[in-house]
Amino acid sequence: MKKSLLFITLLCTAGLLKAQTIKKDTAAKNSTDSLMNTLSAPEKGEPVIATFKATRLILSQTTETVKKKELNFLVIHRFGDIGSSAGGGKTLWGLDNSSDIYIGFEYGLTDNLNIDFGRSKFEQMLELGLKYNILHQKTDESMPVAVTLIGKTGFKTYHTETTMFDDYANRFSYLMQAVIARKISSALSLQVSPIYLRNNIPYPFLAGNEKNIFALSAAGRLKFSKRMGLVVDYVHPFSNYRNNSVDPRFYDGLGLGIEIETGGHVFTINFTNAQAISEFNYINNTQSSWSKGQFRLGFTISRIFDFNKKHKSAY
Amino acid sequence: MKYIALILLVWFSTNQAGQEIYVCKNATVSIYSKAPIEDIEAKTDKGTSVFNAATGELAFSVPIRSLKFDKALMQEHFNENYMESDKYPQASFKGKLAQTPDVTKDGVYPVMASGVFEVHGVKQSRTIPGKLTVSGGAISLSSEFIVACKDHKIEIPTLVFHNIAETIKVQVNATYSPYK
Repeated sequence: MKKSLLFITLLCTAGLLKAQTIKKDTAAKNSTDSLMNTLSAPEKGEPVIATFKATRLILSQTTETVKKKELNFLVIHRFGDIGSSAGGGKTLWGLDNSSDIYIGFEYGLTDNLNIDFGRSKFEQMLELGLKYNILHQKTDESMPVAVTLIGKTGFKTYHTETTMFDDYANRFSYLMQAVIARKISSALSLQVSPIYLRNNIPYPFLAGNEKNIFALSAAGRLKFSKRMGLVVDYVHPFSNYRNNSVDPRFYDGLGLGIEIETGGHVFTINFTNAQAISEFNYINNTQSSWSKGQFRLGFTISRIFDFNKKHKSAY
Repeated sequence: MKYIALILLVWFSTNQAGQEIYVCKNATVSIYSKAPIEDIEAKTDKGTSVFNAATGELAFSVPIRSLKFDKALMQEHFNENYMESDKYPQASFKGKLAQTPDVTKDGVYPVMASGVFEVHGVKQSRTIPGKLTVSGGAISLSSEFIVACKDHKIEIPTLVFHNIAETIKVQVNATYSPYK
């Protein structure tokens, strides 16, 4: 009795186990697929990359930073007026003149923090700044925008016979800026940026001009191929003095251009009414107007050099 | 006592038979391409794989974004311009081994896997050679093969100054553990 009971128990157990394995076997056919799907579920919340191709558009800086141990070398150029009395055939539509030339370096201290240095022909401006990408847009929309903070100091080096720079501090200007950008699709990226500008002496140095200016810029890029895009860039300073001044008259900066990326280089070829390249100059002092033919050809060349030590190939 | 031993034996044998599915969540995948100006090289250990030792079914998947390059700019261009990883986030292989070696015996077995290889949203039928190693009950798979960019509609524009090779060598290594 005891023996047969044990035997039955054994049979039942074995049968049960067998049934289970059969079930497992049929399940296995599909489970390779379903198992794979659960295993390879894409990671959530990756940072969105390449909102813009470069750290600069036409007038504005973008949210992009140069990555760690990379150096971005910038050459930015603005020619003379295409129309107006300064343009036309006699100056080859402005190509004979250069209203501003900027040479700049941007270095990545970390992937998100850059130190920037540059020099403009316009006002002989030297500038030194920091740029910090504080928030990254995420693919899962947990963060819908990228935010980059910029702070920089401008320093005017030129000699003057007036008393304007008797106080040495008057040579300095300061800029604080937050750039907020969103890559809406792989082709379309937009950004807005509130800017605060402080000049220790009003610039241009005219009666009634303010030392402190708030400005707002808006820019966008629409890619029409993988490596080319249309760029629009606009800036408006909120300044009573500039709104009311008749002589000189001040205008908002507006640029239109094409951006071309070729691997290590990004080129922007643009038309803009702003003569100057540095924010310190074009926000404060844009006296040229699109409607008067005072717009010019310009270009930006951005070239990245990488100083990361290459580790030995695994091959 | 005899019966208990028998029960244990049956239980063990059925349990063994039930353990034919193996998974790997940290498969390493590296890509390499020799180019005149700079070599293209990237690596990830975020690959996943499932291997069914009973049927020989094999599946691999790699998140493209997880491939890390030495140069950040190269990584950005790889994702943005070539792989379009926002549209095609994964590269995968789904297939079957032609002959499944006995995974209960230690050894190194050359294997051939036939199936569908998908990169950049383009599927290709491929037969990929590899090596299955069983050592102390641990199963690992490794393979090295060439992927031609044009087979997967990965365009190399003439505008690009860097010379980019038209074929990429891919190395895969996966060490499996039984799926419970």
